[in-house]
Amino acid sequence: MKHKKLNKNKFMTALLLVAATGLTQAQEKTVKIYGIGAKTGVVGIFGQQSEVAMQAAASIINKSGGVTLGDGTKAKLVIEYLDDRCNPEEGINALRRIASQPDAIVAVGPTCSNVAEPVFGILQKKTGDASDSGVQFPLYTDVAAKGGLAAMSQWAFRNVPSEATMYKSVFEWVKSLPGEYKTFWGGVEKDFAHSNATFNVIKTQAAANGLEVKGQSEWLLNDINFSNQVREIKRANADVVAISAHPFTTCGVLKEMARQNVKPKLLIGLTSSSSMETLNGCAQQAEGLLIPTSFAPVTEEAKKAAAAVQALNPKYNMDLHNAAAFENIFTLKEVIEKQKVMGRPDTVQADRQKIRDGLAGLKQTQGLLGKVGRTEDREAVKPYLFVQAKGGNWVVAHTPNQ
Amino acid sequence: MDFYLGLAQIIGIHTLLGLSAWCVLHTGQVSLAQGGFFAIGAYVAGMMTTIWHWPLLLALAMGAMVACAVAFVVGFPSLRIKGLMLVVATTAFSEIIRLFFFNLKYRVETEGGAVGPDGSLGFGGIRYLPTHGWSTFEVNVLIWALVAVVLLSLWALDRSRVGTLWRAVGEDELAAQSVGINLTTAKVSAFALGGAIAGLAGGVYAHYATHIEHGNFGILLSTFAIAYPILGGLSSLAGTLLAVVFIQGFLLEGLRFMGDWRSLLFGVLIVVVMLVRPNGLLTRPFKLSILHKGRAGAE
Amino acid sequence: MLTLIDLTQSVIDGLLFGSTYALIGIGFTLIFGVMHKINLSYAATSVAAAYLSLVVVNIVPTPLVYIAAALAGGVLGWMIYLVCFRFLPINNPRSTLLSTVGMLLAIEEFISHVTHGMPLNYPAMFQDSNIELGNFFIRGDLLFVFALGCIAMVALIQLLKRTRLGLATRAVAQQPIAAQLCGMGIATTNVSTFVIAGLLGGTAGAMTGAAVGVLSPLLALPLTVKGLVVTVIGGLGSIPGAIVAGLIVGACENLFQFMRGVSERDIYVMLMLFVFLVFRPGGLFAAPGGRD
Repeated sequence: MKHKKLNKNKFMTALLLVAATGLTQAQEKTVKIYGIGAKTGVVGIFGQQSEVAMQAAASIINKSGGVTLGDGTKAKLVIEYLDDRCNPEEGINALRRIASQPDAIVAVGPTCSNVAEPVFGILQKKTGDASDSGVQFPLYTDVAAKGGLAAMSQWAFRNVPSEATMYKSVFEWVKSLPGEYKTFWGGVEKDFAHSNATFNVIKTQAAANGLEVKGQSEWLLNDINFSNQVREIKRANADVVAISAHPFTTCGVLKEMARQNVKPKLLIGLTSSSSMETLNGCAQQAEGLLIPTSFAPVTEEAKKAAAAVQALNPKYNMDLHNAAAFENIFTLKEVIEKQKVMGRPDTVQADRQKIRDGLAGLKQTQGLLGKVGRTEDREAVKPYLFVQAKGGNWVVAHTPNQ
Repeated sequence: MDFYLGLAQIIGIHTLLGLSAWCVLHTGQVSLAQGGFFAIGAYVAGMMTTIWHWPLLLALAMGAMVACAVAFVVGFPSLRIKGLMLVVATTAFSEIIRLFFFNLKYRVETEGGAVGPDGSLGFGGIRYLPTHGWSTFEVNVLIWALVAVVLLSLWALDRSRVGTLWRAVGEDELAAQSVGINLTTAKVSAFALGGAIAGLAGGVYAHYATHIEHGNFGILLSTFAIAYPILGGLSSLAGTLLAVVFIQGFLLEGLRFMGDWRSLLFGVLIVVVMLVRPNGLLTRPFKLSILHKGRAGAE
Repeated sequence: MLTLIDLTQSVIDGLLFGSTYALIGIGFTLIFGVMHKINLSYAATSVAAAYLSLVVVNIVPTPLVYIAAALAGGVLGWMIYLVCFRFLPINNPRSTLLSTVGMLLAIEEFISHVTHGMPLNYPAMFQDSNIELGNFFIRGDLLFVFALGCIAMVALIQLLKRTRLGLATRAVAQQPIAAQLCGMGIATTNVSTFVIAGLLGGTAGAMTGAAVGVLSPLLALPLTVKGLVVTVIGGLGSIPGAIVAGLIVGACENLFQFMRGVSERDIYVMLMLFVFLVFRPGGLFAAPGGRD
């Protein structure tokens, strides 16, 4: 009798041990999504916010079980973010480092356009082209917004708003406003690729919608004296003034405009300046600044996402940049499941190809403000709205038809 | 493996940059112009392969030669200027070059779209290496072959009469002049050679990164250029290489696990190295100077 | 007619701004004059001092914030001396060059780390009082910055000419060994030079912050370059030189910008430096006992 019981106990213990190991193995299965971006330095806030948003998205997905791999097992998402300090060499190093990891199947980033351009440049231009020794690794960008970059390689995909579309809509709306908006004057930060490129778009769209472009004022990204430029703006006395610059010089110009008593009827700003940075520096002078953006907490999903980020780390919030990173994680979950990514070290190159093909095949993705369309050259068509600085906050001014 | 090969590429490029500064520093001139010559080499070589479809080695040679020519011209007026003033003058020169490229717009239409420098938007599409199927390993072989050639040439130069002349000028100009050494030849030749090597490094960089813009060639790059030989110790060429590996390999990539602290430590570690080895890492004597009651600043 | 007014206005604005460059230039030239070494981290510590003064910005009235910046600058100056100069060999200027570069990078990075790189509002005085003289518009707050800068410069010159410390500083600058023979402590003099330069630098940082309205780590590097240009044009080791050169650089910079636009402005400022170096290599006022 005792023998039998002992045997039974041993058997049960053995069974439990095997079951436990099996369970822990299944619990330990992870799929890693990497990130590249500036986490330190002057623009370090972008990478920091993206990382938090990606972690928030991953933890939501993990709470509901994780991603389903190609062999039917479930895996948890893990985020690992590499700092490129907004430096092209470090961005290239970071990409190569990620690409040499056996658990790397995709990366979100980079955040700086001047890093994205070299990094996309070293990717294989056309997938399947054996004569091209470029890196074969899919990148799904959240922040770097300089126009047309994804067209550089079939491994590069972006989830950034189309500034041409947004500013076109802004000026169409301006045309429809009551009151006279006849003239336009621009201000541009000349030595930063993004603000410079976007300014050309702004100018074109202003002219295309009936505004007379009377001229522009220029400055450099770490200038401190804007008296000449603001005097030009004052003398032009245009109805609409657009400032295509980042928060530091935007604030400098706005403060000078307040000093010289320059009050145009409408002030338009650069997309990436619709963040806390501008309000931190010059909330009072920025009052009324209108900016088109691809994120505002106006839908249920958007509010929940913003809350998730704040819950993870109250120092950070959600803005248009890391909202894209958040959306990217959910899109990647879909692609991983649809393409039946295996997530094993021996299937790494095949998985990367699957993710690339999966991203390329998407016609639309789910965004926080609505459905996001995908174009032939791997860019996004994001829903957008216009926000305005009011009382130290960004408030929704208008949601145009899209 | 690819990652280490990629890292080796950038170490090689920066070694060339450091060696170019070594040349100039050897004759006692602290020049922050190496970044400017690097930029010239980068744009020239990039334009050669992208717009005029020259083969890579010829394009690199052209970049080095143009940089050398500019250095030669700049070397003459710099003879009158010494010490801090030279530092500032060469900084100013480097900035002028950077601003020149900031304004340079030379676009050529090809079947694949427009190529060429586009002012502040930069110069992209320098894809000679991937288009011609160069693997990371092959690019490394090229870069390190160039480094080896430059290292060996400088080593030979150092041991020859020219090297002795340079070192004499570097130690004490007045004494050198009094034994009949022609200061002009020594200083200008060092400047020109330094410019050529920096131009070569720049050409390689343009092809490594595939996209260059004026922001890459700021004062910080020139500062790194002289930091390598100063950190490594001017008396040894290997010191420069060691310094590049230390900064690019250890400080920038090796400390990644430290996360945000990496950037903070970077500047601090440079200060620390200077405190313990002010004459450079590989300079004899191999003692830690701070242990020697260094009241040197109070002398 | 309009152009002439604009031109004059540009020069006036540039002159007022130039006072901040002059303050930074004085700091560089002071340290160089006494130690014959360059402190590349000077502009960065000035900006850092301004940041430190923001700690008290909601507690004290604005003038005290500026004083806090000056004091912070003094402390930071002493710290830089201790870390980058004290223990390094005296005959090796390159090692201090590099150690101050390291310090510049570390300070810039520290500021970005603590503030997340976000620009911070800096209080200005007399912001809304602008003087309009006919067609000309003089910014009240810039005029205040200019006045404060002038006061600082006068105070410094008085310090150098009338006090024992000033005497010691000048003596050490001209003949360190003879000064030691006369019983002056070189270490003490060096420390006080750095602290004084630091006080000036903190003021400069505060003034720049007040003039721009926001503080950002982006300020450090351009101020360093401008400060160096001013120091060289003014003459190494010459304080009146740095003052005049600062005003000239400020005025010319704005003038070039007005005439040729912002993309070419700095090219002309650098070319102006070259002209000075070729025709007047000693600078505007060559320093007494001028060494290399």
